[in-house]
Formats: sequence, C-alpha cells, structure tokens
Amino acid sequence: MAVSYSGVTKSFRGRLVLDGISDVVNEGELTALLGPSGSGKSTLLKIIAGLTPLDSGRVSLAGKDVTNTPARDRHIGFCFQDYAPFRHLSLRENIAYGLKVQHVARAQRREQVDELLRLVRLEDYADQYPHQLSGGQRQRMALARALAIKPDVLLLDEPFAALDAQVRAELRRWVRSLQQELGITTILVTHDQVEAMEIADRLVILNEGRIEQAGRPPFVYDHPATEFVASFLGPITSLGGISYRPHELELVGISDAAETLEVREVVRLGFEVRVILTNAEGSTTWVQLTHDQVKQINPRVGQRVGVRVRSTIATPAATGAEPATPRETSHHEGSH
Amino acid sequence: MRRSSLVLRILVIGYVGALLALPLGFVFQQAFSHGWAQLWAALHDHAMDLAIILTAKVAILAVPLNVLFGVGASLWIVRHPSKVSRVLDVVIDVPLALSPIIVGLVLELAYAQNGWFGSAFAAMGLRVMFSYPAIVLASVFVSLPLVSRQVIPLLREIGDHQEQTAATLGARPTRIFFTITLRSIAWAAAYGVTLTLARVIGEYGAVLIVSGNIALITQTLTLNIGANFESFNSYQGFVGALLLALVSVLVLTVIGVSRHRLERKRHGSFV
Repeated sequence: MAVSYSGVTKSFRGRLVLDGISDVVNEGELTALLGPSGSGKSTLLKIIAGLTPLDSGRVSLAGKDVTNTPARDRHIGFCFQDYAPFRHLSLRENIAYGLKVQHVARAQRREQVDELLRLVRLEDYADQYPHQLSGGQRQRMALARALAIKPDVLLLDEPFAALDAQVRAELRRWVRSLQQELGITTILVTHDQVEAMEIADRLVILNEGRIEQAGRPPFVYDHPATEFVASFLGPITSLGGISYRPHELELVGISDAAETLEVREVVRLGFEVRVILTNAEGSTTWVQLTHDQVKQINPRVGQRVGVRVRSTIATPAATGAEPATPRETSHHEGSH
Repeated sequence: MRRSSLVLRILVIGYVGALLALPLGFVFQQAFSHGWAQLWAALHDHAMDLAIILTAKVAILAVPLNVLFGVGASLWIVRHPSKVSRVLDVVIDVPLALSPIIVGLVLELAYAQNGWFGSAFAAMGLRVMFSYPAIVLASVFVSLPLVSRQVIPLLREIGDHQEQTAATLGARPTRIFFTITLRSIAWAAAYGVTLTLARVIGEYGAVLIVSGNIALITQTLTLNIGANFESFNSYQGFVGALLLALVSVLVLTVIGVSRHRLERKRHGSFV
C-alpha cells in the first residue's frame, strides 16, 4: 500500500524537528530514511505510525487520509530499535498478541503463529522468554509480531543498529528478501548509508528536519544534490576546489592535464589503499586506489605526482545534477 | 578473615542486636512470661480484639486506596509529564518528611466540625473527625508515596515502547494497561502494598490525634498497646506488641520475597 505525507511539521519544546516535509512511498517498495541523529527520521516514522501527533501536515495510506486515525486503526507493523519485546510473555505469546486483540480463534491463532515462527526461523524457541533470546532472535521476534496482523505497511526504526556487525549484515539481507517475498511496502530508518544503499529501493536523505534528496541509491550516490548528501553517503575529497569521491581520482605522471601534488602518506587498508596528498598551499586531497593500481604507480612519500579525474567519470560530485527520472527529485531549496 | 573485617562484623552485629534484637526478644519474653493460659486469655481481651478489628478495617480500605492512587499518580507523572504532574512528583513525598503529629494536626484543622472541609461535611450531617473515616484518611496520608516511589522508577526504566507496540497491534488503552503496563509493574506495586500495609498497621502519631483514641470505638491496635502501657497494664501491652511484631515479620518476609522476584525480573531483562 502506498504511503504519502505532505507538509509534515513537528516541534518538540520549541525545537523544530520536522520542517514541512512531503514524500510519496510507492507500493511494495523498501524506502530508507537516511540521516544523522537528530535529523528527525525516527520522529517521521512515528508520525506515519500514528504514535506521535504532528503539528501540521497530512499522512495518507493508499490515498486515504489517516492523519487523525489512532495508531491501533492504521494497520501498520512497527518495530522499535530495542524491539520492545513484551518481557513477561513468551515468544509465542508475543507473536500472538495482535491476533488475540483481533479475537482470532485459538486453533487458527496457533496455526498462524506456527507459520510465523517458521517464517522467522524461531520454531525451536517458541516457549522461551525474550531475555533468553539473542539480539538477532529478538529482532526476528519483533518482525514476526508486527507481521502477525498482516499489516499494509511495515515501519522499522533502526532495525539493525543494536546488532553486532556480522549478524547485522546477514539479517539485513534476510529482511530484504523477506520484504520482497511478501511484497510489503516498507520504510526503514537508519543512519548507516551502506545499509541503506544495500537494501533500499529508494533513499530519502534527511537533514535538520528537511529532505535533502530522494531517489534510487546509485543515482543519489553518483549525483548528490548537495554537499551534505555527498559527504553523508560516502567519503569526498576536493581537487582544485571541486568535490569528488576519492575513487573518482587517479594518479598519473606530471603533465598539464593533471594537478601536481606531493604524496604525504600511503595508508594500506587491506584491499583498499589511500594515498594522501597536499598541494603547495597545504590543502589535502586523497585518492582511493586498489592494490594493483598502487603496484603499477608505486607512489612514495615526498614524491610529486599528477592527480586527475578518471576519464570514466562524467560529472563531479555535488553538482546538483539533473534527475534521471521525474521521481528522483531534490527537495532542497537553493544550493550550498 | 582480616582482623578489621572481624571487628566491623562484631560492631554491626552488636549495634543491630542492642537496637533491635534485644528489645524485640524482650517483647517475646514478656508476652510468654505468664504461661500459655494467661497469654490465651490476654489474646481474648475485649478492647484489644476490637482494636485489631478496627486496624484490619482501616487497612482493608486504606491499602487499596493507596494502590489506586499510587499507580494512577505514577502513570500520570511518568507517561503524561506536565507542570502539574511535576509538582505532584515533589508533593507526593511530603508525608515522608512531615512528622505524623503534624499530619494529624493538619487533618484535624481541615476536617474538624468547624474546619475548612469539616464544616461542609457537618452540614451534610457527617462527622469525619474522631471516627473511622478520619483514621483511614490519616493512614492514606502517611503512606501516600509508598506505592508510587516503587512504581515510578520501574515505569521510567521500561519506557513506553512496549505500550506503543501494543497500540500498533490494535490494542485499546485499557487492554494495553491490563496486558502490558500492569503486568510489568505488578511486583513493584506488590512491594509498595506491603510497605503500605506495614505503615498503616504500625502508624501511631497521626492516628492518635485524628481518632481521639476512644477505647472500644476508635482505638487501633497501636493505640491500644499505648493505652495499656499508660494504665500500668503492661502485660496486655506486651501481648499486643507481640502481635504487631509477628505481623512485621510476616510483612518483612513478603517484602523480601517480592524484592527478590523484582530483582530477578530486572536482571532477566535487557537494556
């Protein structure tokens, strides 16, 4: 079911958290609300769920205005960052909670809970209590509990933030495949750009209560509308006063076609090698290279080399490039 | 064992012994000093039995009242913070800071026949002072913070995410309260109940003033014990004290168990 909101404004104790933002989330898509802490992304998610009242603006589900509909009637599955397990209930009772509220008959309830337990691969833990489960298991429990009411929309607040790195990577791929399998419209809040780019159909980048840019992840990465988006989505460096991704630059021999810089440091990070350079005025540029590229060029500290933009890169970062499709628009007024 | 810790142990045990164990032991020794037959007769003392019944009647009303108020006030203070609720959060502790005598005097000022509220009740033909309602009032007053001080920190700690999740699953506020909130705070509230019960049964000063201490009518067990000592009927007084001590032991046991359960529940929890 499509979700849309327009002019959503919210302040807490005089501090503006959301500044009249609008967007449309298409049916069946996974949208990532991406932004630093304090950007208002979690507040927006709670407003869509009906858990936080808004000051002004409208929220619609499938074209129907739900701005004044209480959370219990919105039919939205919501997962908190801490998974909010009902501590006094077993895993099975946690998942059954929404079904009990809907007065689903006991036998049918059991059947549906069993099915959900299989779906989230927790069949063997049905009678355990939340404190007996690991973080990843609790996360899947929260997901099953939210899915039990067959929601039209799934909202996930920082779903992987509390997990360790390996579980996180595994679980987000699993959540993505589950979301695609169920075809459920999903909005996910995260501050992790890698996570967002890996699993989202569409990114919405928030900063200080405004949408900086929205669009498909590869497009937004390659064509950031603002300096903020460019630096938030990945590393940037500058060459001759223009911002580039460090992998968009290359080292060449000294010539008129390249800027001449001095190598300051060569940092080897496994596969990736970072070459840090300075110009005559002392400003720093860094270039991201692979091992093979470094072997060919073999830059040494103190050496002077030419740096230029790779021939395959058409447009530099942070130019506010034209959107590729009408949906991929920048909401940001003015440029930095 | 190191010498310093041995000395410390002896000091602590000696201190607690002199303050608590010896006097308590003395109560038991005195109560049993005249043999079982005498004790049996003293337990059937008419005035004391009426005092026990009155104390039970007061507890039966005051404890539930305090639980309702305590849980309600805690929810208001934690879940719906406002300027008024923040004031309540502070005011709720006043009975702990005030001497019970002052509590009694204030209540008398308010509810006496010619007092602020008392005159209104008198106009309706109701007498509040020197009767059962006054004793309940004083008991509720002195035990005001005992439930909420247990419940408030727990409500803050568990946060509102479980309640909000239940709302997204379709639950109405009353259902959320009974299936989520109340279940989470049950042990803290139970601990508050035992504290309230101990306070209500043991209260002396405030009840002395508002009840008028009328034998056979408004005399609670503590007042009865006091009266017996004053009228040189100390054996009867010790028997009453024995009963109070036994209730205390029972209450302490319940507190110990519920505290243990509470602790286990907290440890079983996560972030």
